[in-house]
Amino acid sequence: MKSTLKNPYVYAMFVLPTLLLYCLFFIYPMVSSSFYAFTDWNGLEDYSFIGFDNFTTAFNDPDFRNAIVNNMYFILFSVFIQVPLIIFFAILIGQIKRFQGFYKTTVFIPSILSTSVIGILWGFIYEPEIGPLNKLLSIFGIEPIYWLADTKWAMVSVLAANAWQWMGFYIVLVLAAILAIPREINEAAEIDGASSRQRALLITVPLIRPIISVVIMLSIAGAMRVVDIILVMTKGGPVGSTEVMASYLVNEAMGVDPNYGFGTAISLIIFAFALILTALYQLTLGRNQGGND
Amino acid sequence: MKKSIYLGITLILAASTVLSACGDKNEKSSTETDNTQTTTAADTTEKTETPAKTEEEPKKEEAEPFTVSLRHIQISDAQKFRKAILDDVVKKTQEEVPGLTIELDGVEDQVNRFTKLPAEMAAGNPPKIFDLFGGAGDALKYAKAGRLLDLTPIIQELGIADKFLNLNQFTLDGKVYGLPIGGSTEGFFYSKPLFEKYNIKEPTTWDELEAAAETLSSNKITPFAMGSKGAWVPLMLVNTLIGRYAGPEAIDGFPAGSQAWNSAEVVSAFAKYQEWEKKGYFTKGELGLEYADMLNQFVTGKAGMMFDGSWRSSVFKDQAQAGDLTNQVGFFSMPGVPSGKGNQLAVNGNYSNGYGFSADLTPQELTAVKAFIKNLYSEEMQLRGLLEDGLLPSMKLSDESIAKVEDPIVKQVMQILGSSGGAFSHFDSTVASDVYKESESQIQKLIAGKSSAQEVADAMQKVQEKALAAAK
Amino acid sequence: MQTMLKRTQPVIRSRVSIPKPIKRVLPHVVLLAYVAVILFPFVFVVFSSLKESNIEIASHPFGFPTKLYFHNYEEAWVKARISVYFWNSLYLSLSSSAVGVLLAAATAFALTRMKLLRTSKVIYQFVLIGMLIPGNVLFIAQYVLVMKMGILNTHWALFLPYTAGALPLSVLLIAAFMRNIPTDLEEAAVVDGMGAIRMFLVLILPLTLPALVTVFIVNFLGVWNEYLLANFFISKDALKTLPTGMVGFRDAFQTNYALICTGIVFSVTPVLVLYAFLQEKIIEGITAGSVKG
Repeated sequence: MKSTLKNPYVYAMFVLPTLLLYCLFFIYPMVSSSFYAFTDWNGLEDYSFIGFDNFTTAFNDPDFRNAIVNNMYFILFSVFIQVPLIIFFAILIGQIKRFQGFYKTTVFIPSILSTSVIGILWGFIYEPEIGPLNKLLSIFGIEPIYWLADTKWAMVSVLAANAWQWMGFYIVLVLAAILAIPREINEAAEIDGASSRQRALLITVPLIRPIISVVIMLSIAGAMRVVDIILVMTKGGPVGSTEVMASYLVNEAMGVDPNYGFGTAISLIIFAFALILTALYQLTLGRNQGGND
Repeated sequence: MKKSIYLGITLILAASTVLSACGDKNEKSSTETDNTQTTTAADTTEKTETPAKTEEEPKKEEAEPFTVSLRHIQISDAQKFRKAILDDVVKKTQEEVPGLTIELDGVEDQVNRFTKLPAEMAAGNPPKIFDLFGGAGDALKYAKAGRLLDLTPIIQELGIADKFLNLNQFTLDGKVYGLPIGGSTEGFFYSKPLFEKYNIKEPTTWDELEAAAETLSSNKITPFAMGSKGAWVPLMLVNTLIGRYAGPEAIDGFPAGSQAWNSAEVVSAFAKYQEWEKKGYFTKGELGLEYADMLNQFVTGKAGMMFDGSWRSSVFKDQAQAGDLTNQVGFFSMPGVPSGKGNQLAVNGNYSNGYGFSADLTPQELTAVKAFIKNLYSEEMQLRGLLEDGLLPSMKLSDESIAKVEDPIVKQVMQILGSSGGAFSHFDSTVASDVYKESESQIQKLIAGKSSAQEVADAMQKVQEKALAAAK
Repeated sequence: MQTMLKRTQPVIRSRVSIPKPIKRVLPHVVLLAYVAVILFPFVFVVFSSLKESNIEIASHPFGFPTKLYFHNYEEAWVKARISVYFWNSLYLSLSSSAVGVLLAAATAFALTRMKLLRTSKVIYQFVLIGMLIPGNVLFIAQYVLVMKMGILNTHWALFLPYTAGALPLSVLLIAAFMRNIPTDLEEAAVVDGMGAIRMFLVLILPLTLPALVTVFIVNFLGVWNEYLLANFFISKDALKTLPTGMVGFRDAFQTNYALICTGIVFSVTPVLVLYAFLQEKIIEGITAGSVKG
């Protein structure tokens, strides 16, 4: 029996290109990040080791702490406002008999578009003088609100635009799980006289807990990762009210005074945060499901 | 089923490819017609002799074609005049240097200055010719790192070394690393129709200025148009306020360590800005408005005045951009403030925007660069800049050239400069990068009401001290 | 039947029971409202793009344009050079996805079919680690890497990270699919003396086609919509991709919203068209990717 399947050369040929690319663009950057994070390299001159200075500077910078807080807002909003809405809509779509495909397809649309285009789109909607939102409000006599220019409103505006983009995606995800629930269970409950609300809360939701868990994890990961929409809509302004860690990173490392050492330090901080949050979630809420994945 | 999907995909891809290729061809054909003028009989130019055209030397020098990259910032409508001048210089240079194609790359001003160019400098691969700002945070920083071509021998060879009005922003250790294409001053543009309507005359004293603002404000017209999303915009006004309250020397005093940001006079400058903010003198929602929006506010009559650079004057000649305000705009420099230090008649004068060149050039590219410099920094182009674009010359012009100026705003500006008895630059070309960066962040905090004038000044001083210590 | 049950039930709910027809319609009403919120921005953008200028947009924000002003489209296509951006995005997305799929398939084949089992396990886990790392963390390090490689501001600077980035997920998905394919065919082929390479090309690839197509689409959309790297790794206008070009377009023409809306229509339409044909595949692919990850 030819053992071509054991041939190490062929194996290498199949695997090496992938490994090469992967190591070059994933592993090496991780390693070099860990290295540069402890230097003060600004790209132009020689750098020197400065130990943990970058990290202390970051945490001492009120703007960075503000960015961390903003990331937390994102997470809180995603988990406590978006997720319930997502479940609500998913159940709703799951319950109706007709046009299910239509709803499913339409709500999914925003999530396949480029975040930058969505940023431009919503920038237009939020435009204080010409944008439709203020025009709509003016019908009710409300003065134009400076959605993206007012520190009070900027964050909410960005959160709304972000939600608009991603909720459909999660709804479809949860919907798939809901549709996978055997119909008999619901039918039996209906016969027993359970109202649709009772059915939803007491049967459907518990049965889809694994997928909800996935949605929450993805939301948290997404909230940590968010940057495109911020850069395009507000660049982190006004006055840092929409600055998140990733946009802070971009502004610091690629802005007026590039500091790659500092930038990589912040990347590591973001990574650490993401890991900690995910681990925390797995340990507390994740455990109850008996492990998902 | 599958087949129709694949068919669909192929059709879409084919269609889009065809469409984009068509669009592409239109692009290509226009650039090609530009390039078909590269080979004329002329040879490489280094002398300042009048270019000998129409030589009966049909010796088509089939020189090796080569490309020189040129980064510019003249991308929007407001800069079309300057772009036209650049295009002509490029064309002329290509004609003079056989085989040369100059590849233009237009990028937005701030993006080029603060993102692209610094990154390219760091990577060591900037374009060969590029728009460059002078000063410690830009040109001098790159010169120190050896990225810029030393132009001193070139300008001497071309005989223009002593024709420049001010090369300070581009000179390091006695060597010149960049050449300003023009000068500018920052002051108040005002809408003549609105001033007439409310019986306001052009302010010559501080009280008149504040009275004018108050009159406009009480008539529901925003006194000062403002778009502070890009922090550099409000910083223009801040700079001139500092020049008034703390004196012209303050601007150079910051990096020299002789002027503190949190000295009483500088704090007064910030305080005055804050006072105007609180009085609602600036456009509402300014933090969400870009530089172009500020112009829009002014041009559509929502604001009566606009503090901006004299480079904006060319817009007000152009019906397409200025609309109802075409040729209805006046200009005045900031009056002296009552308790100001130093010469209150000094004006803001900047010669800090121009072109720099990569230190990494092949001999061919060097030839092209020299030709470019010769063509761009000539009396002809400087005059054109003045007449067509309202750009003040960075080189000495003959009196007869100056007499050709007709644009009233430009005339006024030149008159102001002439009678000023002193100029001070913008601190963005004197202080170090991190100090400037801090000023951007602080001014927005001030505007949003999140910081007081004193806090802003203290924060600035802290960063300045750090920069001074690092420089030692 | 149902009404009888209602009477025999203990009255826990004391509210009026909603008549059945309304009950059936209510979910639709709610969902339609939601769909309207999703679709309205698009409608608005299309209307605005056909209006002549900002003034018309400001005065009749919600109305159908008085005159169909197609000139905006012409202007955008030419002035904004959208054709260039579109072409760049297209060929980058196609090439990077195609190469990514091929490499991933080869690797997946080697990992799941070839007999070097222990190595395979190690490599598989190794590649999976890549799934843990959020996109932004590597950004700066990748930037520095690309800078040092000297390919900054060329399409290689995007092609390589994009392809590398797609690998972990692609390998994961394709491997999962391959594992489900019975091995009989291959065993027969081995007996017939077929070499591993031929087996891969002739036998396995055709069998895994569904997964390959799905992965291709997922990667294609990912690259098509990518903003962060595209924005910072490329500065030459002629090389920009659609998301970056669009933002640049928006920045240059800020005050002309009709034109900006045209730009949005240009960038969104191709994706929507693709979506119209391939909804199922797209939804399936993206959701599968997220769940497994």
